Amino acid sequence: MTRRVVITGCSAITPIGYGKDEIVSSLRGGVSGVKPLRDDGLLTEYIHSRVFGTVDYTIDYEFSRTFRKTMGPVAFYGCQVAKDVLEAAKLEPEFISSGRLGVSFSSTHGSPTVQRDIYKTFFSKSKKEFSSIGAVDYLKSMVHTTAVNITRMFGITGRVIASSTACTTSSQSIGLGYEMVKYGIQDAMLCGGADEYDTTTVAVFDNLLACSVDYNDRPQATPRPFDQNRDGLVVGEGAGIVLLEELEHARARGAEILGEVIGFASNNNGGDLILPNLEGITATLELALADAEITSVDVDFVSAHATATKMGDVIESQAMYDVYGDGPLVTGLKSYMGHTMGACGAIELIITLYMMEQGFIAPTLNLETVDERCNMLRHTSGVTECRADIAAVQNFAFGGVNTCLLLSHGLRS
Amino acid sequence: MMTRNEIQEKILAILTEDFEFDNPGLDDNLRDDHGFDSIDAIELLAKIEKMLGFTLERKEKEQAMSIRTINDILDYIEAMAASRRS
Repeated sequence: MTRRVVITGCSAITPIGYGKDEIVSSLRGGVSGVKPLRDDGLLTEYIHSRVFGTVDYTIDYEFSRTFRKTMGPVAFYGCQVAKDVLEAAKLEPEFISSGRLGVSFSSTHGSPTVQRDIYKTFFSKSKKEFSSIGAVDYLKSMVHTTAVNITRMFGITGRVIASSTACTTSSQSIGLGYEMVKYGIQDAMLCGGADEYDTTTVAVFDNLLACSVDYNDRPQATPRPFDQNRDGLVVGEGAGIVLLEELEHARARGAEILGEVIGFASNNNGGDLILPNLEGITATLELALADAEITSVDVDFVSAHATATKMGDVIESQAMYDVYGDGPLVTGLKSYMGHTMGACGAIELIITLYMMEQGFIAPTLNLETVDERCNMLRHTSGVTECRADIAAVQNFAFGGVNTCLLLSHGLRS
Repeated sequence: MMTRNEIQEKILAILTEDFEFDNPGLDDNLRDDHGFDSIDAIELLAKIEKMLGFTLERKEKEQAMSIRTINDILDYIEAMAASRRS
């Protein structure tokens, strides 16, 4: 027997704003969060891509040292969005520590800032410097640092899942959390992901020729998903979290139901670790529809992974067309903020929820001339006032991991 | 060579500023009254090493794990300083 899984809270820190009002305003206004790359004193000057999806506003963290001491920047993001959701949800303290609430949250690494500092110390070859590696550096840099800083801060005692699968980190977090609730293992799960500002990620993608380099003088003109003049992805930062809850549990406490996760699928291409794979992606989208027990015509909107790489967008377009035809509106939300890596699936799902709630769909930013190989889709043209009842959020990662989440606006009818 | 009062002043400053202790008392229980845990103990040892100007041996650090109060910290620092003089 399976149970229905609803979304009863969400929060996001993104390059286009923090919280619903700011994010919706940016979407409606066509505001980009892509900024010039900061100089962090490392190899920045040699990186060809000079752009980054940046969270450049101040967040007033109110965490005591007790909690701060084990947190790198990425955990600050994670704990802040978790705090937002838990404060709004007003879950009973007894439930939070009952073992029936779990956390499925992660990042692509732990905190790369902390990791860099550790390695800088290692290469100093100095005994004095060695002792400066802090007792908490491991706790800040381990890959599940976000999840366990959240459990610690709020006294959560249920399952901890730290899916760390690059660009599908948080979409898997949500999907795995959904399965925890659906199959009765937990009654609620805090799910999402975060990634902090990290120049090394830009450097790696830059050397893979995957980063945007042609718009360094006008950062907001990139990334350009599906556009014939796209030239690659833009790395970004941020965090997103959703509270997933079993339907009757949510109803019993009178929680507002923002949406329902109605399906999830994840698979692997079983081969190349970098190249997008039409067969694997197509299978994921079809598996998600099967999990939700709906057909492709039921899907009103697709939040595409759409990183703006030359091949990725083409393969994804083909997969979308093969599965959905030209029925649903399609938007690549990374066009607003770049690729927030471990946070992107959660952020894109939350933005999709916001748009469904407010009755509009934002277009892909910077999509001026659609690449003819991506032109068979129904790309969202301008801010479109419309009702979308069911949406697909799809994400694909290095390593050949694919995910697709299906959600409904409010309760599935 | 610092006096006990000088050590106390430095330790209280560290605990107040770096560890955010609120009105620390010399015989307060560090864990119960201020949430001081094993991670804090390791971090404090690094600061004590800096104060003393020498590196503590592993066994010496392990001795610090029995510390419960600020007075215990002061005793420990005095003992470590004395061990290097003898």
